[in-house]
Amino acid sequence: MAARFFATRPFMSIALDQVTKRYQDQPVVNDVSIEVGEGEFFVLLGPSGSGKSTLLRAIAGLTGIDHGRISMHGRDVTHVRARDRGVGLVFQNYALFRHMTVADNIEFALRVRRMKRVERVARRKELLKLVALEGLDERLPGQLSGGQQQRVAVARALAHKPQVLLLDEPFGALDAKIREELRRTIREVQRELGITTVLVTHDQEEAFALADTIGVMNHGRLLEVGHPHDLYAQPATRFVATFLGAANLLLARQGADGIRFGATPVTAEASEPMYAGREHEVVAVLRPEEVEVAQTREQLSSDYIARGAVEEIAFTGALERLRVRLLDEPCAAQLLGSGSAAEARVEITRTQPERRGLPLRAGTQVALGARRLHVLPTPISSFLACAPTEAEAEELAREPLLESLSTRMKTRVSVRAIDGLKETPAPLAGVAAIAGGDKAAATVEWLLQHGAAEVLVLPKNAPSPTRVYIHWSDEAVRRATLAVSASLLRHVSAEAVYLGIVPEGSPATGRAAPMRKLLDARVEAQQRHGLEMRTELAIGEAVSEITRNLSAGSAQMLVLGITDITQAVTAYRNLLAAQPGWPVLIVFRQPDVGLRATEHAA
Amino acid sequence: MKVGQREPNVIPGFGITLGFTTFFLSAIVLIPLAALILKAAGMDFSRFVDVITSPRALASYRLSFGASLIAASMNMVFGFALAWTLVRYDFPGRKFVDAIIDMPFALPTAVSGIALTAVFAGNGWIGQYLEPLGIKVAYTWIGITVALTLIGMPFVVRTVQPAIAEVQRDLEDAAETLGAGRFYVFRRIIVPTVLPALLTGFTLAFARAVGEYGSVIFIAGNMPMKTEITPYLIVIRLEEFDYAGAAALGCVMLAISFVMLLAINLLQVWGRKRMMVSR
Repeated sequence: MAARFFATRPFMSIALDQVTKRYQDQPVVNDVSIEVGEGEFFVLLGPSGSGKSTLLRAIAGLTGIDHGRISMHGRDVTHVRARDRGVGLVFQNYALFRHMTVADNIEFALRVRRMKRVERVARRKELLKLVALEGLDERLPGQLSGGQQQRVAVARALAHKPQVLLLDEPFGALDAKIREELRRTIREVQRELGITTVLVTHDQEEAFALADTIGVMNHGRLLEVGHPHDLYAQPATRFVATFLGAANLLLARQGADGIRFGATPVTAEASEPMYAGREHEVVAVLRPEEVEVAQTREQLSSDYIARGAVEEIAFTGALERLRVRLLDEPCAAQLLGSGSAAEARVEITRTQPERRGLPLRAGTQVALGARRLHVLPTPISSFLACAPTEAEAEELAREPLLESLSTRMKTRVSVRAIDGLKETPAPLAGVAAIAGGDKAAATVEWLLQHGAAEVLVLPKNAPSPTRVYIHWSDEAVRRATLAVSASLLRHVSAEAVYLGIVPEGSPATGRAAPMRKLLDARVEAQQRHGLEMRTELAIGEAVSEITRNLSAGSAQMLVLGITDITQAVTAYRNLLAAQPGWPVLIVFRQPDVGLRATEHAA
Repeated sequence: MKVGQREPNVIPGFGITLGFTTFFLSAIVLIPLAALILKAAGMDFSRFVDVITSPRALASYRLSFGASLIAASMNMVFGFALAWTLVRYDFPGRKFVDAIIDMPFALPTAVSGIALTAVFAGNGWIGQYLEPLGIKVAYTWIGITVALTLIGMPFVVRTVQPAIAEVQRDLEDAAETLGAGRFYVFRRIIVPTVLPALLTGFTLAFARAVGEYGSVIFIAGNMPMKTEITPYLIVIRLEEFDYAGAAALGCVMLAISFVMLLAINLLQVWGRKRMMVSR
């Protein structure tokens, strides 16, 4: 599998390798690698501004890319012009030539290729039949309905028998009924011709209806790729969980004995523990249709999660939608919402038979159960802003970087006063965030010794990073560092650079091993976390090399994996105290535990 | 075409606006024109024919309409290029260039005439280099064409600009993915889309050029039979108190201009119909 970076597999129809496109230094497509198989229907799904259309234009050759490679059927087309790539492109606004008849529009590509008239006409008739528009040859686009125009556009894009069909939000401008009809036509045409197809959309329903494979994009990154069902049932990221269908995100704790909400154990499908041997916070996905509603806890047939009061009931035809406010109970599940935790509501959908079984009205108190829970393999569950006083912690929680991270991660920032670092703390949950400065190193040390696994050191008003350096001092913490980095990088548009450091004076022959480590790290990041990162090898002393790289540009950030608290804190004291300084996310794993996790994973 | 409005319209006052329009059109366009024709009709027919077919008059028509056609055609090419540059590219000073386009509108035409003469005369900035090459600009038909091009330029640029802005990039992109080269895209996609606006610009520039007087007389030299435009000939007739003769020449200009503008307009209507039938 490591070979994927160096050789394009022949049966891949389209292969993108670390494609990056920047506009004014902001990456809009960020290190995206995709492989689309022959005859596959691939849907790129993402909100507007996620970079999916830019990526499609890059595949078509209409937009140049700043980094990476694009190949089609084994041929490197990175520098091939659009007209020589052999693709057909369909636009949201049809982009038909309004001064030409339907016939001329469809024959455009054939005329360009100087095809004989007889053949042209034959091909045109064939295409019009394919899209069910026979007899409309002599109409002008202005005389056709939107749906018909888009059919013409599809026929036009297929005229020159392209090897790849690209569709950019093709149903965007159509109303629901026509949309569905056209969707079916496109699916049929695609199956009939067996043509490799990439469709861009923001509509998850459309993606489900059409795709063999869905790739979800956000902030220029490709987050997850998979079969529609797998992505829906087992998302790996918060974004995919909430964008692909509705989802309730709940904070739970994962320990040796399984998943618990407060004190209530539940059964949940979980990937391997993030941090073996130590209880930690996790994010669980609960789909609205998987919530069971009953009058009392005893009547539930599934795992109890909380009690709540019905706030809102909406009838939507086949389904009933409920919004339920959780009642404050010590054992209740903690819900993550877009607003503050207090405003979060559980979304529930019930089928008509379910509704008839237990009719509800607003205000009724109910017990909620989870029929199926999925725990996200994301290491960053929530943030805990720590400062000497409550007020300072509140202020820290309002730091722009922390605020944007928590908003984008749809998680919350709790605050905690850690007075003088003396008290014995209640268990720390989530990533601890502290202010940068002289005392930062000492605070980091204290937090790590008292149960924190990740600490984010935030200088004042740090900008959202455009480049994140990743480094670990010990291979034992590699996996955890990569997992945390991937989770962070899904939510900021920055490029990731793994910094491998070889001590100065090491023999030149010894370079091969670090180089291999670099490449291994890159493969692991790609395969385990879908994270594309660059690698750089520096020679010298670790801290000064890292500081040099961080100083080289603006808006940089560091993710640092460590295994030895005291040693690391001593070594990085100056870096953490630097003014104005950089955001540093420290990932700590005890070496033995970390090693065991690595072995377990292998 | 519907003349009356039965259904209540959101904007009231159809009657008033129609009346107002008719009144002003009559007062400032139709009545003076009618007076012009009446004046010309005052002389007997053979004299009328003599006046309008005199060799000097014929030479002036040829020059006036010929130079105007050339100028308007040149404007079509250069105006398109200018408008294209302004719409499609962002470069330092773009706003400035955009503003300067309108200068010929604002400048008194005599000023542009004098400026052009100074530049293109045998000892002028540009004229001194052209003279040794055997190209005389000032006091020849070339100079007249240059003057007419200058004053007609803004018409083309300003009408074509919005049309180019409307050519969706998607159209070009679509054509490119279908295998078309740049020139093919230009010829088959861009030109047809911009053509109606280009024709409008051409018409306006042409109409303006035919009627232009101020800027031309300085650079033309006004030699009878050679560099004398019809409007200048009319002025000469007026100075000779030959009002009927002036009116006769005016009628001829009116007739030719009308026919040409009508032809261009019909061409445009035809083109537009082809473009977007029943939206």
